[in-house]
Amino acid sequence: MNNFITILKLDYLQRTRSYSFLITLCISFAVAYSFIPSPDANYSTIRIGDYLGYYNSSWIGYVSAIMTSIFLSLIGFYLVNGCIKKDGHSKIGQIIATTRISNFAYLFSKTISNFLVLFTIAVFVLLMSIVLFFLYRNNFPFELLNFLIPYSVIVTPSLFFIATLAVLFEAIFGQKTILQNILFFFLFFALITYNPVDIKGFYLDVFGTKIITTQMENTVRDIIPEKDLGQLTIGYILDNTSKHKNFIFNGVDFSLWFIVSRLGWMSLGVLFLGITSIFFHRFNIKERLQKKNKKIILETNTTNTIDISKLPKASFSFSIVPLIKTEFFLLVRTGYLWLWILNFAGMLALLFAPLSIAHQIVLPVLWFLQVARWSTLVTKERMYNTHFFTFASYQPLKRLLFSQIIAGVLFAIFLSVPLLIRYWIQLDFMNVASILLGSVFIISLAVLTGILSKRKKLFEILFFMVTYANINGIPFMDYYGGLHENFNYLITIFLTIVIALIITYSVRNFELKRV
Amino acid sequence: MLLDIQNISKRYGSNTYGLKDYTIPIEKGILGLLGPNGAGKSTLLKMIATISKPSNGTILLNKNNIIKDPNYMRKQLGYLPQDFGVYPNLNAYEFLEYIAALKGVGGSYLKQKISFLLEGLNLTEVAKKPIGNYSGGMKQRIGIAQALLNDPKILLFDEPTVGLDPEERVRFRNLISELANDCIIILSSHIVSDIDTIADKIAIMKDGQLLCHGNQNTIINTVKDKVYEMEIFKDRMPDFANNYTILNTIRKKETVRIRFVSETTSYYGALCQTTLEDAYLYTTKK
Repeated sequence: MNNFITILKLDYLQRTRSYSFLITLCISFAVAYSFIPSPDANYSTIRIGDYLGYYNSSWIGYVSAIMTSIFLSLIGFYLVNGCIKKDGHSKIGQIIATTRISNFAYLFSKTISNFLVLFTIAVFVLLMSIVLFFLYRNNFPFELLNFLIPYSVIVTPSLFFIATLAVLFEAIFGQKTILQNILFFFLFFALITYNPVDIKGFYLDVFGTKIITTQMENTVRDIIPEKDLGQLTIGYILDNTSKHKNFIFNGVDFSLWFIVSRLGWMSLGVLFLGITSIFFHRFNIKERLQKKNKKIILETNTTNTIDISKLPKASFSFSIVPLIKTEFFLLVRTGYLWLWILNFAGMLALLFAPLSIAHQIVLPVLWFLQVARWSTLVTKERMYNTHFFTFASYQPLKRLLFSQIIAGVLFAIFLSVPLLIRYWIQLDFMNVASILLGSVFIISLAVLTGILSKRKKLFEILFFMVTYANINGIPFMDYYGGLHENFNYLITIFLTIVIALIITYSVRNFELKRV
Repeated sequence: MLLDIQNISKRYGSNTYGLKDYTIPIEKGILGLLGPNGAGKSTLLKMIATISKPSNGTILLNKNNIIKDPNYMRKQLGYLPQDFGVYPNLNAYEFLEYIAALKGVGGSYLKQKISFLLEGLNLTEVAKKPIGNYSGGMKQRIGIAQALLNDPKILLFDEPTVGLDPEERVRFRNLISELANDCIIILSSHIVSDIDTIADKIAIMKDGQLLCHGNQNTIINTVKDKVYEMEIFKDRMPDFANNYTILNTIRKKETVRIRFVSETTSYYGALCQTTLEDAYLYTTKK
């Protein structure tokens, strides 16, 4: 048991002592701040028709818990996923495999470590919500339990289940990161759209938020017996707070069975883990792959030598076309063949689906499928340890960075060609410009986050959140003109791109000077 | 051609140095950098390769300050880092084309040159296979090929023989000797036998400082007539180690054969012919 705790402690420390975790915490603070809009903000996060809760402890505590349960579950998977892969890459996995630790103990320690990382973020969000309560409270008393109860009953089991899921996916799908990300994307949608019809149905809600939102609706219904209250909305909805009315929300009395059901989700995760541990590869990945693919270990004869005097002389050429070409090839070759089948299906959908659906839904999803490609655009040097070559190359900032951006944009444009053709035929140049700017925007975001964090994860998480918002029609995140058709919006996107690229250029320049 | 390194330091903390007040003029030929792990060899090479900036000091190449103008160095640099990687999805040919483009090398002879290098390094058979499938030695050969793409005048090899089999090591040493006619080669290693047969000059480093620098004879002379060998009983070893610098030991059943340095004439052991390894061990252990 002591060994287990030591492994857990060290794994947790190793993960939280990183620069990227610090960035994650900073972002979490910012996101936590946005969960509870200030009373004069022009957006809402949870709203029942025209009704918003008074900013008492219950409302702030429960709203913050719902948002954390949903959003931290959503991004949390991407945040913690990859811990087994990391052990494999660092070769620590091979050392672990030779120790006495059982598969289950190893996977369980990874789950708990994942959970602790997510839980740490949740604690920061909880603290922020308490701070916000004191900022916005309007004379309502502070009741700590109204913060602690929803976080304990709702958020904690959700995060534990997500932590388990991240380990399960890695243990089952091994190195297939793209497959894991895409499967989770669809699984999350399936889980979040689950709509319970009776009290027992709440037990099956993995995020545990439906019971609270139902209670909120019922509270409003008790006060105002209107037939049509309007919809309950969760998410960042702009410009809908001008005519709102308030109600008092007093929280939820969770039944014993509901609490048991939450523990049930945690137990279910552990059970799945136990089953998976039987099949866990225990870092015997390469050998398994070799058996499956009948991979031949390459051999060469070793008789030749180089006669330097006969070596053709090099001539200088500072064209960046070969760099763009190779960067483009690297993008194309990243990922699996089946992903290309999905890409072509997506491109066909762009060609034949109704124009609004093709633009608003298909395009952002098709672009999101490329997340693994674009996230490595500027991070692959460190990932593959080629930065010694690239950073010592001739004018790496002006030539290489520029080539990477162009290759990324060309790839995005290539995927959107069917839609561009449709708009072109209709002489709708506003939408053509929107898509072109959108492709530059998403690549700018990829290079900016990659250079800032030196890892691909930040972009993966942000891109996932942005795509989630796109599919839900949240206008604030519309970077590709799916919901806006005006010139001013294009200018805003253009200026954002310019700022992002200036920061990217400056940070990489700074990085090159102090490697 | 002169690479002049003047008083360079790399400071990591208030009192932690990777390299301290390092000065060395390097001329055409092969300079062997010897030093134990952590001596600062890679740090020095990274600074010469312009991927790391010194905290103090200057590096001049033909009187051009390469800290201010790194591209002057980059145009004529061939660098084989210690822990380099490759893009596994590219084949050897594509990877070399990519590195050539990074170095600003092109033209009609590029393809011919890549083919020539691949052939000379025995990689033609696998040139169209993804590098992800290559063995460690084959990747190392790709590393050597990329360093030669731009006809470099400065060649930096950081632990270049790692992963190469004995036959390949010999071939690599021959290649370096041939290249040295026309350029500056700096070869770092902690394995003396990688260096002693080919280096014109040797620099021994420890804890970020240059301990000694000169041609092989000058360095070997620092321990001339000081190296002895003798056999003692195992239980006398700790006592002996307190009084003398031990260079090498060979354990036998009850005794130990010791090679050691004695500053004064030793009547215990037999005087031996000194080697570069003796000088290196003596300098770094002293």
